[in-house]
Amino acid sequence: MTDSTIDPIALEIAWNGLKSVADECFISIMRTAFSTNVKERHDHSTAIADAQGRLVVQAEMALPIHLASMSGLLEGIVRKYGDTIRPGDLFIANDPHVAGGTHLPDINMAMPVFEGDRLLGFVANIIHHADVGGAAVGSMSGGLDEIYKEGLRIPIMRLHSGGALQTELMELLLLNMRLPDERRGDLNAQIAACRLGVLRLSEMMEELGGDVLVQIFDEIVSRTEMRMRTAIATLPDGEYSFEDVMDDDGCGTEDIRIALKITKSGESICFDFDGTDPQVPGNFNMTWSATQAAVCFALKALLDPEVANNHGIFDAIEIKAPAGSFVNCVFPAAVAMRANSCQRVVDCVFGALADAVPEQVVAATNGANTSAVFAGTDPRTGQAYVYLETLGGGMGARATHDGKDAVQVNITNTSNLPVEAIELEYPLRVEEYALVADTSGAGKYRGGLGMRRVIRPVDHVCEFNGVGERFRHKPWGLFGGRDGATGRFFLRGDDGAEMKLAPKASRVRLAPDFAAVMETPGAGGYGDPAERSRCDYEADLASGKFSESYLAENYPQFAAPKRAAG
Amino acid sequence: MRANSSHREKAGDWLVGVDVGGTFTDFSARNLETGQVRVHKRPSTPDDPGRAVIDGLAEFVEKHDIDPASITRFAHGTTVATNALLQRRGAKVVVVTTRGFRDLLEIGRQIRPHLYDLQRDNPAPLASRDLRFEIDERIGSRGEVVRPLNDAAIAALIAELRQHPEIEGIAVCLLFSYLNGDHEAKLAEALRAAFPDLLVSVSREVQPEFREYERFSTTLINAFLQPEVSRYIDRLRNKVGDAAPKATFGIFQSSGGLMSAAKAADFPVRTALSGPAAGAVGAARSGALSKIGDIITLDIGGTSSDVCLIRNGRTAIARMRDISGFSIRLPMVDIHTIGAGGGSIAVLGSDGLMKVGPESAGAVPGPACYNRGGTLPTVSDANSVLNRLPQELVGGGFTLRRDLAVEALKPVADKLGIGLERAAMGIIDIVNSNIVRAIRTISVEKGNDPRKFALMSFGGAGGLHAAEVARALGMKQVLVPEAPGILCADGLIAADLQEDFVTSCHLKLAAGVSELEQIAQELFGLGQHWLKTEAVDAQGEQLLLFLDMRYVGQNYELPIEIEATVDTQGHVALPDADTLAKVFFATYERNFGHYDPEAPVEIVNARLRVLAHLARNDGVQKKVETEATEVRTIQVWFGEGYRDTALIERAGLKSGDSFQGPAIVTQLDTTTIVPPDAVVRIDEAGNMIMDLNND
Repeated sequence: MTDSTIDPIALEIAWNGLKSVADECFISIMRTAFSTNVKERHDHSTAIADAQGRLVVQAEMALPIHLASMSGLLEGIVRKYGDTIRPGDLFIANDPHVAGGTHLPDINMAMPVFEGDRLLGFVANIIHHADVGGAAVGSMSGGLDEIYKEGLRIPIMRLHSGGALQTELMELLLLNMRLPDERRGDLNAQIAACRLGVLRLSEMMEELGGDVLVQIFDEIVSRTEMRMRTAIATLPDGEYSFEDVMDDDGCGTEDIRIALKITKSGESICFDFDGTDPQVPGNFNMTWSATQAAVCFALKALLDPEVANNHGIFDAIEIKAPAGSFVNCVFPAAVAMRANSCQRVVDCVFGALADAVPEQVVAATNGANTSAVFAGTDPRTGQAYVYLETLGGGMGARATHDGKDAVQVNITNTSNLPVEAIELEYPLRVEEYALVADTSGAGKYRGGLGMRRVIRPVDHVCEFNGVGERFRHKPWGLFGGRDGATGRFFLRGDDGAEMKLAPKASRVRLAPDFAAVMETPGAGGYGDPAERSRCDYEADLASGKFSESYLAENYPQFAAPKRAAG
Repeated sequence: MRANSSHREKAGDWLVGVDVGGTFTDFSARNLETGQVRVHKRPSTPDDPGRAVIDGLAEFVEKHDIDPASITRFAHGTTVATNALLQRRGAKVVVVTTRGFRDLLEIGRQIRPHLYDLQRDNPAPLASRDLRFEIDERIGSRGEVVRPLNDAAIAALIAELRQHPEIEGIAVCLLFSYLNGDHEAKLAEALRAAFPDLLVSVSREVQPEFREYERFSTTLINAFLQPEVSRYIDRLRNKVGDAAPKATFGIFQSSGGLMSAAKAADFPVRTALSGPAAGAVGAARSGALSKIGDIITLDIGGTSSDVCLIRNGRTAIARMRDISGFSIRLPMVDIHTIGAGGGSIAVLGSDGLMKVGPESAGAVPGPACYNRGGTLPTVSDANSVLNRLPQELVGGGFTLRRDLAVEALKPVADKLGIGLERAAMGIIDIVNSNIVRAIRTISVEKGNDPRKFALMSFGGAGGLHAAEVARALGMKQVLVPEAPGILCADGLIAADLQEDFVTSCHLKLAAGVSELEQIAQELFGLGQHWLKTEAVDAQGEQLLLFLDMRYVGQNYELPIEIEATVDTQGHVALPDADTLAKVFFATYERNFGHYDPEAPVEIVNARLRVLAHLARNDGVQKKVETEATEVRTIQVWFGEGYRDTALIERAGLKSGDSFQGPAIVTQLDTTTIVPPDAVVRIDEAGNMIMDLNND
């Protein structure tokens, strides 16, 4: 037990109070933001950090990849501005290479909290903005091969200085982004949430005193590290390794290898990505903080889902990733689609630790963060629109039950946009939203099915940009479970013709006599299909999720008994 | 054996409220003429909940010598729907939906219930995939027909459904039906004609609001619950009719009002969350008797706590809620529930910190001090260690074992290296901080300052924690109603008949209010029609108009009450657009701390809540003088040590009595802690008001 002057009960109570602050800021953004991305999909996060910029408390619904970004920003603020930070300052940044970010659409903000002259900590938040400029609408298209094409790069800057908005900076930002009105609304929601957080944290400070608050921050981080190390100690000592291959980077590089070796000894664990391919031209590269987010997510989910997510987790886990590699890229690497790569790193961790914790691991998921952007001009209003959607897919099978069909997996858990909301807001029609038959990997427990979404522009021509992964390399099964199926994008004409699209489909012209069909990958099975129970098989049969030939091929033991002659 | 009614002295009609809970079925009756109140409690009969209602009613009238023929209203709160849903015990339902969307109910919002828990999933849909059918039709986002619904398609569907003799209900769920209900209506009519024995739920009838998954899910739940709930209500209504022939029959809904039995049979989903709602309505009424309109309720039970905010005597309303993983979108009393109660277990995590709940010892094995086999330290054990729970609960043939509580807590105290009492206080402080967090969620996070509210405690353990929770939030007053154990049954008697109407629109405020007035006019027409048909015995009525407003481009709406004026011809007039904008800005600022006077505003729903006030007697019952009972002194831990504390029986207190803490007030079903510097008085209404003297 750590030596401390704060008693553990007072600490638990103060921790509760801090969680309340982070949650209140989160809800404030959710309700006041303007973009669909935040309102319906909750693609935002909030947190509290200490004076060194270490993350201490996050909102309940905060996303792992955002925490890594915020952590990068906060440490950068302390490094860059140090003693010059003043009350009323508000910092903004998004750049992955100089400001700790993971991709440009995630704009970070942070505001310091003071007791007199003494810096006590920060409140921070992040929103995934639907567009931050660059070559492609939505700033997320495949086919972009350097960071400059991906949007406006914002180093760590003061958006407010001593309480005053730097209006010129705001003008510069908005001028470089499509849909400036929506951006202004979202940025204002972030500013308001920062102010709210500072107010609440100041109230706590007045009640507890700054010294106590600082001690509480330290205790939370060190106890989290201790708890994570205790969980790590339960893993059998040894070396575990795994490799997986990503389809391509959208710029001509195919079969990108991610190699992982895990060395575990006592309470220590090291994730070594030596042997991973070099960074690629396309925008799938991971910054150090993105890789850290993925590894920490995977280990926490396997060993202790309830442990707090803060700097203490980072302290408990060692990561080695060669600079300039796919998992620790350097300038001018493009990174917009790094979420797909994060998903795959999580799959790799599960694959590596399958023998160590077979009861906890999940077979390969759809391994992607399949996304699509529809952009154009709304013929009803003459206004430009950008619609970003992210699609779930199969979740891998588990030791005791099937993988879930058509769901967000691993580090993402953002909800879909209701069909009725899409069609009210955008000149688009959703024609189908369904499970894709036969995409599951068979097994004692089967993998989840992928999903199909079919969208058509109404009365206008729009642009389609899609990003998919595991369109060539199947999601693998575990312990004899079969592989799941790959995903695909194609256009379907009213005449029935199908036009296959690239997995990283960029700037595809979509006319109203065509619909874009997006099918996401399924997921791997767990255990030998020969061991599947009759009950589960019969459920598969009744559900209509599988063809007769799929069932006959994968579960021949249940083939209809031959009728006796005569 | 029944007493002969001619011997009865108590004249006047009676109103009866019956609330079925998991453990007890509570009865409350109020005499319309004299204001007399009678209560009764008996064990519930979960296998057949109606039995406890009917048997209990007979016991009740016998015990209190009430003439059953003088019962004019029977108001009932039931958990039949809630339990059927929790246990997935409902009808085999067919879903018919727009072509291309058979799997929509299964995909839901494509999210997992917990980001980091790899083993936990949302539940499978209530209708299996082989019973979900598609039909060729499509309405667009302006209500236009994109693909017509053909008779041939309907005939083909009906032929297919005939292959499934096992089905017990049908849910009709078509896209954009909230804008244009023609296809749903046509389909439902054909299905009802083809399957006269099956109940058909139609999404536009259940809740005509946008966001298809939530609307479809609510409709499916309705169909799933319908056979069982309507059977239950039919049976009960017949039996109550036999026992109390003059009683009108009202069923309590989650929105906080009563509906007719026929409505309840059509829309059983409206009762799915009605249990705690009745308590909130009872609390609002109880507060009104003491002229306190701004209240936060705290109901602490064995495994969970419910909190609810009441402003100006009205309970806050939520539009959406999940119940065991299923989404319900309906107006309902906004009850926030957390996993913290008397049975919540304290555990030390590997980080050396203590957590309390959500794991609970439940009723079995229960807290250690109950001596039913529990050995883990719970919140009740902590209260027992500190002597806050008297050894003998009033009226119960039940003695608490403090020694067992001590045994359960000792390992925790030893591991933390602190004394037993400090560990016990720690458990209580932590559970209190969880409750404080829940109250902040419903107050501070929605722009309400809890310091301006009184905290009303009820439920078995509410009074044990109320004073400390209130202090932590800077609240100044705690209110304990006269009979906290039957607040739900009380709420049933006090409830109005209520119906909610909604029209989804998408109107820019800048375009003026004329179209809005037209919508309001239609809503008022529906409301008046409902009053004439469903609320014939109403003694007064209220029509409340709400507009769900937001900035153009936002997706969260603020429900804002609007003063509509109705002239003698029945024409509805609304305030002008500028006035509406001002009201919106003020509400927005209260909720979020800022607003933008330039950004355009839109209205997405117009809602009308119609209240039909029923006869009731709000007079305060004159309490029979009781002998002041003997006050014992016991040793109770407060802050730093044990203090001499008066143990007072509530039954011995009368209006006007006043005393200073420390004290413990006990009554049949609850125990209230009065800290040392608090002052208690019993007011005219019989409520116990505790002033905390915070600074």
